[in-house]
Amino acid sequence: MKEIKVALVGQPNVGKSHLINSISGATLHVGNFSGVTVEKKEVEFEREGIKLRLIDLPGTYSLHPYTPEERVTKEFLLKEEYDLILNVVDSNQLEKNLAFTWQIADIGKPMVVAFNMYDEYSKQGGEIDTDKFFKLTNIRAENVSAKEKFGLERLFSKVIKTYEEKNTPRVYYSEIVEEEIENLKEKIKECKFSKRFVAIRLIEDDEDIYKIIHEKPWYSELLDVLKAAKERLRVEYDEEDTKTIMFEERFALSKGVVTQIAKKARKETLTEKIDKILIHPILGLPIFLFIMWAIFQATFSLGSIPMDWIDASFGAFGEWVGGLLPDGFIKDAIVNGVIPAIGAVVMFLPNILILYLGINLMEQTGYMARAAYVMDGVLKRFGLQGRSFIPLVSGFGCSVPAYMAARTLKNPKDRLITMLIIGFMSCGARLPVYVLFVSAFFAPEIQGNVLFAIYIGGALTGLIVAKILRAVLFKGEPEPFVMELPKYRFPKIKAILFDLWIKTKMYLKKAGTFIAAASLIIWFLSSYPAHEKELQNIPGSEKQAYILEHSYLADIGKAINPIFEPLGFTWKETVSIIAGLAAKEVVVSTMAVLYHTPDSDETSKELVETIRKNISFPTAVAIILIIMFYSPCLAAMGTFWAEVPQWKWRLFYTIYPNVLAYLMALIGYNIALLFS
Amino acid sequence: MRLNELKIGESGIIKKIYAKEPLKSKLLSMGITRGEKIKVLKHTLAKNTFDIEVGNSNIALREEEAKQIEVEKM
Repeated sequence: MKEIKVALVGQPNVGKSHLINSISGATLHVGNFSGVTVEKKEVEFEREGIKLRLIDLPGTYSLHPYTPEERVTKEFLLKEEYDLILNVVDSNQLEKNLAFTWQIADIGKPMVVAFNMYDEYSKQGGEIDTDKFFKLTNIRAENVSAKEKFGLERLFSKVIKTYEEKNTPRVYYSEIVEEEIENLKEKIKECKFSKRFVAIRLIEDDEDIYKIIHEKPWYSELLDVLKAAKERLRVEYDEEDTKTIMFEERFALSKGVVTQIAKKARKETLTEKIDKILIHPILGLPIFLFIMWAIFQATFSLGSIPMDWIDASFGAFGEWVGGLLPDGFIKDAIVNGVIPAIGAVVMFLPNILILYLGINLMEQTGYMARAAYVMDGVLKRFGLQGRSFIPLVSGFGCSVPAYMAARTLKNPKDRLITMLIIGFMSCGARLPVYVLFVSAFFAPEIQGNVLFAIYIGGALTGLIVAKILRAVLFKGEPEPFVMELPKYRFPKIKAILFDLWIKTKMYLKKAGTFIAAASLIIWFLSSYPAHEKELQNIPGSEKQAYILEHSYLADIGKAINPIFEPLGFTWKETVSIIAGLAAKEVVVSTMAVLYHTPDSDETSKELVETIRKNISFPTAVAIILIIMFYSPCLAAMGTFWAEVPQWKWRLFYTIYPNVLAYLMALIGYNIALLFS
Repeated sequence: MRLNELKIGESGIIKKIYAKEPLKSKLLSMGITRGEKIKVLKHTLAKNTFDIEVGNSNIALREEEAKQIEVEKM
């Protein structure tokens, strides 16, 4: 079957991802926050007996890349093989979007334009004459709405027609520019790009094209013509920078074309009205804090409702499986190792989904960009910028998606700093440990405040660390902050549910396999060696304790313990803390096992009592501080490693939180000693 | 005058962009070009961050960036 390879190109927030989702029910994330689509995604489908393959390129404002993502798009357009460019345009922002359309039209490839979000545009009284557009530019176009699945089929038949006719754009600039393009074209000999494209890019100082042309034998002859061309444009346009001239040229062309093809829509006023309140200079910050508080409240309170059911179902499931399997190593491993571990992970799924939903709604409606705007001033003081805010917020739920969310940060330094402090935003899995220790050592009336202080303390420390990192390791000016605030939109319920489903699957798969494996190791180390001879003389109720006290885990704990002795730890606390590196929930369950409580439920009164009897207050403070600051779970660490390729940062990330946690705990321990 | 000197609700015509590359291209490609009308919709209390309207888009930028845009008040 014939195949057409289509590069899907457009500025950010024009609904490219949405378009891909609407064709095949594919699985792309759709959001309003500028630049959610980072990875290259493809969809394949068949129309009129031809296979269409769409490649979704990162949203880009121009062919003069500003961010690493935009560079990806440019590299693809210049270097890869493809048959046709499908340019998605937001009908509501024709002038700005078309200025980019002309840039990619210069490449000289067959091209089709989709005027997306036409539903919104026409509702406001707007109209676009695509036939007229075709006459003016020789680019076929269609009015579509990816959201309402409208016009897409007509669009694809235009894609096929354009491909079959090898129909390329005819976009012309003003006379002076065109004259200089012609002059330059005479000097351009063989080259893989069209002569016109090379001429235009040279006029606007495109360094990537310079680099390619530089090696050509005809380069030196071209140089004088180019110099003269630029000089003439500078004089004619009264502007020193020829790149700016070309931007203005394209913008003017857009305006000209738009007046001919489009009937203007009434101005959308909803966004302005909502913004009057949501990003009010004084109210903006409190409103944002309230929204965040509400999301966390829902995460913790609603999320805890299904927790008991999940816990109970896994318990029952474990018993059922235990009944099926013959006694022995495999049964022990599955019933005592794997199933409870997966249960512990799945137990937190409701919390995580609620947090995702909140964050997703913020993204889809367009509020996330506003929150970044509101928080920018605060974050700036700590050497971060507004965009860092989104991954940091996700960090309160789970560090794994938070590290991935950091991809939306354009600047590598900002991204790395943000990723290095995400661990200090206490994730949901740490909550059980806090609850256990706070209820054991603090008076009931201040427990809530202590818990709040732990979260705020972690976040503040993170910001201070960011400041230090910026000052010491990432010197230099902070990156400029320029971000489009997309219009407010009503989210598509179906898209959000689909997204949650994908997140659920990913979470279960990734964290499930990881934590299950890690817990299996812990289980094995705490259950072996078996000491069968010695056990014969020990009463049944103490057997478990004996195994533990003489397990591999105990050996390891006792070997490491000297390091933690300054914090008043015994080997049991040491092991619990270390086990927490696999997953924070494991801290609680390990302690429950080590302190010999039959039920490992953290709310169980008995465990609270035992902890209070066995651990001193200063040591408890040290434990809380360590949990707050040391490395997150293995799944999170694995994600960080996967996201950051540089070995020195991987190493730094793996070591420094633990050093910091230790120092904090040491200070906390000694201060607490003074008071008790 | 510069964009950051405009008050909330005030508009100006863009005269020149002093920003260096690659920021300049970014601003230009977002529609912040000579001759365009630009309006300050909002700024944060400390005037650190601005919400401006140009064409049909809203753009958030910092004082540092706003300082690099020359405007003539309307």
